[in-house]
Amino acid sequence: MPAAEPDETLEAQKARLEEQIRAKERQLQTLKANLLNLDQGIRNGSHAADEYKRYGRQLIMPTMGLQGQLRLKQAKVLVVGVGGLGCPAATYLAGAGVGTLGLMDGDVVELSNLHRQIAHSTDRVGMSKADSAYKSLRALLSYQCLSRLNPLVEYNLHKFHVSPENALAIFNSYDLILDCTDHPTSRYLISDACVLTGKTLVSASALKTEGQLIVLNDPPRPPGDLSGGPCYRCIFPKPPPAESVLSCGEGGILGPVVGTMGVLQALEAIKLLSRPRAEATPESMGNGTSDEPPKASMLMFSAYNNPQFRTARLRSRRSNCAVCSSTPSITKASLDSGSLDYVAFCGVAIPVNILPHSLRLSPTEFAILPNAARGTLIDVRDETQFAICAVPESVNVPWTGNAASWLAHAEEAGVLDDEDSACKYIVCRFGNDSQLAAKAIIDRSGGTTEKVKDIKGGFQSWREEVDPQWPDY
Amino acid sequence: MSTPKAPAGHFTILYFAAASSYTRKDHDFLPAPLAFHMLFDVLDQKYPGLREKVLDSSAVTVNLEYVDMEEEVAKKDRADGSLALKEGDEVGIIPPVSSG
Repeated sequence: MPAAEPDETLEAQKARLEEQIRAKERQLQTLKANLLNLDQGIRNGSHAADEYKRYGRQLIMPTMGLQGQLRLKQAKVLVVGVGGLGCPAATYLAGAGVGTLGLMDGDVVELSNLHRQIAHSTDRVGMSKADSAYKSLRALLSYQCLSRLNPLVEYNLHKFHVSPENALAIFNSYDLILDCTDHPTSRYLISDACVLTGKTLVSASALKTEGQLIVLNDPPRPPGDLSGGPCYRCIFPKPPPAESVLSCGEGGILGPVVGTMGVLQALEAIKLLSRPRAEATPESMGNGTSDEPPKASMLMFSAYNNPQFRTARLRSRRSNCAVCSSTPSITKASLDSGSLDYVAFCGVAIPVNILPHSLRLSPTEFAILPNAARGTLIDVRDETQFAICAVPESVNVPWTGNAASWLAHAEEAGVLDDEDSACKYIVCRFGNDSQLAAKAIIDRSGGTTEKVKDIKGGFQSWREEVDPQWPDY
Repeated sequence: MSTPKAPAGHFTILYFAAASSYTRKDHDFLPAPLAFHMLFDVLDQKYPGLREKVLDSSAVTVNLEYVDMEEEVAKKDRADGSLALKEGDEVGIIPPVSSG
């Protein structure tokens, strides 16, 4: 007990003691509250003090809150494809505190990836994309939680492509799948595997200046249950013809376009994972909570259009869907047995080979022709590629995808005027369109002309055989 | 650029992704009314090859709602008939984008 001040009255002593007691009581309350928080933290999987700080800005959002954050921490998310979509998606998911993040990709980093695949870097060209992204994400979050043992996010690296043989086993150990791949075959496979393993799928894609985003199989119900969300096959039952499918290498892509779609994927994933489990009806992307079967929505992004964003209401499950209906032809057994051929289903773009041998010549053969014999060189690449690099005196008549319309353009350009005199050589980027264009001219002449030839392998072969300085774009 | 309003007696058709690449346009105005199940015929005539290359594998929306072409074609001879596209409607041709 503190000694009384010499001239302190009894009243004053009493007041001081009372104040001291109140202070101790406040301290006790704080200690009890801290204990309660710690208890709660332990029960909730120990949300460490610095995690409050790290996630504070999203934690105070009513849509997230502590419970939402803890649900993220318990979640396991698989990012299939760590490229233009997967890099930003995985980065935001790791940053947001998803507990387990799977990175699946069988490719290695290439120089042409770097303008958009932001988790990779020049010094990692040739490295596995899963490894490269893992390095970046670890650097971003090089932080150990309170136990000083476990990193905040646990990573699983799957350094191979998704396949019918591995999809079910791998998807089973995750809560949510992100399709960040780049081909129809993987899009159908991933959707099928999500239906069969009961996982919701956040699917995004991008090409040129446009992107698409859909949340599929939400809620994830067994095949035949119409209260489940539709799958990719419900929306797109028929794959596009293989020869019309363009990769980013062929069609081009702007970094921020695919980046936007990857970021939106992470956003949808965060919304799905942080929502209360009881909310069985899909609330993502504005889907209603009525009694009607849930419909998927597609967000379409067109960077050069106005408006840039449009949302279309798509459809509910298809009653005759090959995988999510009550009479599916695609089952776990058919996937496991490897009897499903996704490549055959989507078709293969076979390199064009429609001209007789006599009407084709190699870049080398063309290069050694005397100037007088070179006739007219018609370059059928599009205007943009022609402006990047072109052979002097060649004429640009871009292939239109259709013989009649291309011939009209060629006539306009005057390259068909001297039909019987000078020889015409047709060239393109890879040597496919050039054959189609040559064939169009030959057919127009009734199949008689021998004066139209295609340069085999296009400028790709031109660079390999004749001109190593030719831009390798 | 922003798509202008369709002139009187027309509906707007928006081309996305491969549909836009093939037609080399982002929209057209077509005369209304038009039976929905005739849409692909009209477009394939305007852009030969479009049906096989693009339309058959595309999703189609009318005023941002999905409409199933096969179901509409099946309905065309029935009493309830198929959907009619009317003046001012906005049709979207949405081919799947698979790249990423």
